[in-house]
Amino acid sequence: MDGSRSVKFRGLLQALLRHEVDFLVVGGVAAQLEGAPIVTFDLDILYDKTPENLDRLLSLVQELKARYRDPAGRHIEPDLAKLQTLRTHLLLTELGALDLLSEIGAGRTYQDLAGRTILYELGEDRVRVLELSAVIESKEQANRDKDRAVLPVLRQTLILKNGIRGAEKR
Amino acid sequence: MGTPTNPEPEPAPSPPAESPDGVDLTLIRWTLSLTPLERLELLQDWVDGLAELRNGRISER
Repeated sequence: MDGSRSVKFRGLLQALLRHEVDFLVVGGVAAQLEGAPIVTFDLDILYDKTPENLDRLLSLVQELKARYRDPAGRHIEPDLAKLQTLRTHLLLTELGALDLLSEIGAGRTYQDLAGRTILYELGEDRVRVLELSAVIESKEQANRDKDRAVLPVLRQTLILKNGIRGAEKR
Repeated sequence: MGTPTNPEPEPAPSPPAESPDGVDLTLIRWTLSLTPLERLELLQDWVDGLAELRNGRISER
């Protein structure tokens, strides 16, 4: 892949759906879908670690010719053992940067967070997206510089969203 | 002497443009007014635009 090419968010989501991967959209794209105006250059997804889902995920990353974004420039491809054991997979694919996560924040998994999602319709595609309050919690728990940098925008977005919901109920 | 008319109601104060910690609330209100698909397309436009800038290209969109 041309390393300068930007990520194709819908293309990646459609590939995940086509391979029937059980996943939640998390991170910056989840925040943006929830209305927070922030920029991100990769798609973060939280995946379910059932054996069947790992098979589907492996099939997807093979189709997308994914490899790890290795600072040393080595060509390392994801495999079943890595998907099963590692928490974070920062991949470069034919459709841009895709981060596969088996846990986020303080070790929370797909199973932990599946109940805190919203089903969004994106054209003909339907994807499960982590709700903004849970995105905020995960970033507070991760507490890296890049997480702290976006928290004010995320918190203000949640306040305005709740205000709109409150007004709609009145 | 005619019937006194009711005075014009005071206009509602404009919502603040900025939060106390400096977040642009106008931008958030705008993104919240979009559909989820429009929000994703907006993000894609931002990312594509930044990639073009990084590569030194001028968009003709």
